[in-house]
Amino acid sequence: MIVPLLEIAVPYVAFAIFLIGVIYRAINWAKSPVPLKIPTTCGQQYTLPFIRRTIYDRFDSPYTKWETIGRMFFEVFFFRSLFRNTRYYYTRHEHRDTRFLWFFAILFHWSFLLVLISHLRFFLEPVPGWLEFYMEVSGLKGAFVPEIYIPGITAFVGLLCLFGRRLFLGKERTISLPSDYLALILLISVIATGLLMRYIIKVPIEPVKELAIGLVTFHPVATDVHPLFLLHLLLACTALAYFPFSKLMHAAGVLFSPTRNMPNDNRARTHVNPWNPPYKGITWQEYYEMYKDQLDEIAEEGYKVRPEV
Amino acid sequence: MEEHPEVLKIEQKFPSWRDMLKPVTEKDFKPGFYHYPILEKDAQALGIPYRDWDPLDKDWKLPPDWKETFLNKFKELLDKYRSLKVFMDICVRCGACADKCHYYVGTGDPKNMPVARAETLRSIYRRYFTKIGQIFGEWAGARELTEDVIKELYYYFYQCSLCRRCSAFCPYGIDTAEIVWRGRELLNSIGVSHRFSFISIAASARTGNHLGLLPGGVAGALQSVAEDVYDITGIEIEVPVNKKGAEILFVSPSADFFATPHWYVCMGYLMLFHELGLDYTWSTYASEGGNFGTFQSYELAQKLNHKIYEEAERLGVKWILGGECGHMWRDKHQFMATMNPPPKTLEDPVNPITGTYFENAAETKMVHIAEFVADLIKHKKIKLDPSRNDHWKVTFHDSCNTARGMGLFEEPRYVIKNVCNYFYEMPEHTIREKTYCCGSGGGLLTEEVMELRMRGGMPRAMALKHVHKRFGVNFLCTICAIDKAAFPHLLEFWKLPVEVGGMMELVGNALIMKDEDQERTTDLRGNPLPGRGEE
Repeated sequence: MIVPLLEIAVPYVAFAIFLIGVIYRAINWAKSPVPLKIPTTCGQQYTLPFIRRTIYDRFDSPYTKWETIGRMFFEVFFFRSLFRNTRYYYTRHEHRDTRFLWFFAILFHWSFLLVLISHLRFFLEPVPGWLEFYMEVSGLKGAFVPEIYIPGITAFVGLLCLFGRRLFLGKERTISLPSDYLALILLISVIATGLLMRYIIKVPIEPVKELAIGLVTFHPVATDVHPLFLLHLLLACTALAYFPFSKLMHAAGVLFSPTRNMPNDNRARTHVNPWNPPYKGITWQEYYEMYKDQLDEIAEEGYKVRPEV
Repeated sequence: MEEHPEVLKIEQKFPSWRDMLKPVTEKDFKPGFYHYPILEKDAQALGIPYRDWDPLDKDWKLPPDWKETFLNKFKELLDKYRSLKVFMDICVRCGACADKCHYYVGTGDPKNMPVARAETLRSIYRRYFTKIGQIFGEWAGARELTEDVIKELYYYFYQCSLCRRCSAFCPYGIDTAEIVWRGRELLNSIGVSHRFSFISIAASARTGNHLGLLPGGVAGALQSVAEDVYDITGIEIEVPVNKKGAEILFVSPSADFFATPHWYVCMGYLMLFHELGLDYTWSTYASEGGNFGTFQSYELAQKLNHKIYEEAERLGVKWILGGECGHMWRDKHQFMATMNPPPKTLEDPVNPITGTYFENAAETKMVHIAEFVADLIKHKKIKLDPSRNDHWKVTFHDSCNTARGMGLFEEPRYVIKNVCNYFYEMPEHTIREKTYCCGSGGGLLTEEVMELRMRGGMPRAMALKHVHKRFGVNFLCTICAIDKAAFPHLLEFWKLPVEVGGMMELVGNALIMKDEDQERTTDLRGNPLPGRGEE
């Protein structure tokens, strides 16, 4: 009784929580208006024709819709802002480029995406040709026997590096909350069990595939899977269900960030604030009445000030 | 470190996450780091709850229902600002922002890391607005809102100059300025407000400028500037004030009327406009470009920048030219037209001398002086003698707000390179979008936090020291009024023999004027020009 529950109910529930949670959070963000257009401009603004704007300026300080989309693209897929990272060295009072955080982050996120894609082979029957090809490439076919899928390894290494930062670097340790470690530990254990199944404790693949296809076609069948796989599945479901409640929502949040997703065309196209309050303050008339004498004196001089020489 | 003044020791501390959740209170407040509270007259003028309190008191005499007021206001702001809501949720604490903050670099105080500064508020958000925070409490990084927490918020929200340097490095674009701006608004709702900002805001709301100059004072100041121009050039310049029907309304920060080295910049404006025969006017009602309201709340920012459009409409000008100022331009570029829709009477901003249409200012009709002058130089409409600036070896400090709130990098450089012969850039990681704050922006330009300002300005001072040693740089050019007020102190503290001045001062020096009958022998400051006149 317990096995079908774990194999079928848990994945469905976790996925439902993930989907509903993410949509709910996104709608919740979208419900708050954006009163001001506040892009962080990291490049030369669009300006006079003889002022040169490089390709970087176009994406770091976008003026058109397409440039803004470009900025978001580089931000989401290549972590543009993180690539700019520097470190301050007190001994020399200097900055140096430090891209290791960017590198670890890129290493993990891209590898993880590739790992997720390769998981499609469990859900598709027959496995399409492109996926076979993709598996051969990511496994560097012929280099190792048995094949070693590189993304799985690099995702694991990337996560360990990100974890190591929080453990061993002072600043990072100070700002890390338990939830930061929890997210990392969850992902590390998901990947660790995955790697374990593939390379050390070989798990029979047939029941896994049967289960996976049953789940995606909504004809779930409980199969007799290896306990290690069950652990892998449960951990993955936990991560999935935890996602909308945690900082993992950064994946969706970056799309909502007004400092990145708005063009720097403030003076050319006025942004409208939906709740803009009416002006409260003194008008010219009130000001005039307060300082009538002095203002009249300026008027008497013909609205001109001349140097006394 | 050996060359630092003795007083400044930077101690980096790395407490545990639990210690980070404990509020820093009045017992730990250090002189030179905390701000004085709002004055009664300013609070009354602006409708902020007032009572007599001091940051070093144990009891801050918060109003009886302060907690409810604070949380209701928090809810209201979350519903009004997507930025706040998103930034409360998506931080992953990667630490990319940590050593980007000049206050963190200069103080080593872990709570000055931008992420930690935001966490002071985020922890309250988690406790009162998220389920996870309510259930798991401290383990989810949540904490109760107590009077001590309010003290901490006041202490750290006024150790941020809203420079947005951290935002440039954040992978999600989390903008600490946005969080701190909202945070200060929250504190204002329970009367925990800041003296210096509100003195200026109240003055500007009443008289039209932060200094509280009355109309006669503005006119008198302009007259004195014109007299100084006469002393240097022998030209009598008539300065139009409140003139109806002029083509352009000129607005600059009010410091240009009084302070040094702003004064020389003001001379530069008058000389240039006279030389061009520009049909423009100053205004006493809109005599302030800067906007300290942008350090406190949306409503106050709106209150202060409204006057410019109202005055433009009353005078019937076609468009508005703005002077050298930092946060003024964040306000004018990003906020002003949204807060107060531009009047219909304004026309397209077209340079009357060159005919250039400023397309990037098509709707708000406000053009930056650097754009205007760059355009003039490109079209060779003014004659320049850059050798008059040969006694200066110039470097340019990008002001935070024109850099990261506007993207104005090349125009001032274009102008500077055309008006002086010796120009050197500071190290790459301290200029343009990575520029460092002077340490005194965002309402921090006040005496009581002098140590904080000197520490916060350290990275900029070190970068300047580098070019001073390497190229002999002796002139720091900046286009921000707060920079010009802050840097002289900072450079004195860090023992750098470098003068501070504005772009328009250099332009004024180099400008060859038609009506001038004899060769100038001094620059605008009265320094003898090398190789000319009596040595």
